[in-house]
Amino acid sequence: MNGPFTYDDLSALMKSSAGITADPQELENSADSAFADLGLDSLGLMAVVGDIEHSHGIPLGADAERCKTPREFIDLVNSQLTSGV
Amino acid sequence: MDTTRRAVVTGMGVVAPNGIGTDSFWKATREGTPRLTRITRDGCDHLPLTVAGLIEDFDPVGTVEDKFLVQTDRFTHFALHAADQALRDAGTPDLPEYAIGVATASSSGGGAFGQRELQNLWGTGPELVGPYQSIAWFYAASTGQISIRGGFKGPCAVLADDEAGGLDAIAHAGRSIMRGADAMVVGAAEAPIAPYSMVCQLGYRELSRADDPARAYLPFDAAACGFAPAEGGAVLVLEEREAAERRGAAIRATVAGHGATFTGTDDWAASRQGLARAIGQALAEAGVGPDEIDVVFADALAVPAADHAEVLALGDALGAHAANVAVTAPKAGIGRAYCGGPVLDVAAAVLAMEHGVIPPTPGVFSTDYDIDLVTGRARAAQVRTALVLSRGLMGCNAALVLRGGDAGP
Repeated sequence: MNGPFTYDDLSALMKSSAGITADPQELENSADSAFADLGLDSLGLMAVVGDIEHSHGIPLGADAERCKTPREFIDLVNSQLTSGV
Repeated sequence: MDTTRRAVVTGMGVVAPNGIGTDSFWKATREGTPRLTRITRDGCDHLPLTVAGLIEDFDPVGTVEDKFLVQTDRFTHFALHAADQALRDAGTPDLPEYAIGVATASSSGGGAFGQRELQNLWGTGPELVGPYQSIAWFYAASTGQISIRGGFKGPCAVLADDEAGGLDAIAHAGRSIMRGADAMVVGAAEAPIAPYSMVCQLGYRELSRADDPARAYLPFDAAACGFAPAEGGAVLVLEEREAAERRGAAIRATVAGHGATFTGTDDWAASRQGLARAIGQALAEAGVGPDEIDVVFADALAVPAADHAEVLALGDALGAHAANVAVTAPKAGIGRAYCGGPVLDVAAAVLAMEHGVIPPTPGVFSTDYDIDLVTGRARAAQVRTALVLSRGLMGCNAALVLRGGDAGP
């Protein structure tokens, strides 16, 4: 793990895994907006979670797919990634 | 059901080996340009199926938005693009979201997408299988994605009943309109030319093993040796006639009658009776006599027993008119796109009625059967009523009667 999981990382994964275009800065500005309002549905979030789990080689746990907002998700990913080391 | 509510065609979209869009499709169909080719795709070139109708100039990127691209197979990309064309052609009726439904037919779903994810599963492990595997390769994927993308919340369906499902879906959409829907987006598109999908077809005895594209698919010809498959299909917009007239939509054709039967697998002789009954049902529902049929778009499987049964079925259902009516099989030039095949024939039939031209059967120059097969060049003719036939390899038979846009209900 090189540094924390950022809004840039989330933006890139939303694009590659779910085909959703979301500017990192806008994601950060809407950190408490619902993923659904940003165009990311539950399957899309599952695809993002799967990508992170595969690239980092650790499970994020069932709560990752239940996150409702970018802030909630980024906080969870970072806590899982640091505790997992 | 309110049988006074009649379904009319107000929009058409085509993605076919001989053209994307109805204009280029019709030009190539009318010319009878053969477009079957050798299959050279990765992972396909070692298989004993070597000739097919391929769509080479279709780029899904830019045609389908990224969000839909990542979660769909090629068969759905075709369907989404054909639906876009059809809705644009219809002038996108401004209807409440629950008044528009979607129906598609599919014979095998999204094989290439499924293969990729299954290879991830067995090559690496379940963590590399993406969640969209849960939706992308299913028969219902195209109906679902057309509905979601367009916001159409009316009655939705998918017919998984063999190649004839392409016609049955159109009939189903017509019944949905009788039951109250104002418009239906309906059709079928297939993408069966990928390694796993091709292997699934190798068990079909009716599949042509010829490796010369000019000789691979010759229905009603003495050299008939089976059929060549194809990818692609077509989508129509059907609307309730009066509603379409009220909004001033151009009515391209009327869906007048349909019949469907099942005669089981591996018995092409039995399809004679099944097809004849389906034709009889379709004529009865349309309220037209056999003599009123101006053209038959044949199923044209190019298996001698099946071609023979189809010719006999025409005789059974149309009587003496069977020897005089123009019969054509444009699919000989592009292959059979499974459920998409008969919908492409419906599009060609509508265009034939509009242009007063019957397209030829590409690659076939003569037939020993006692039918008036249109070969060589397109034939000018007044076409007011068309009969489209389809049979599936698993025993479904269907017939659809279409009437020209200016014909009465």
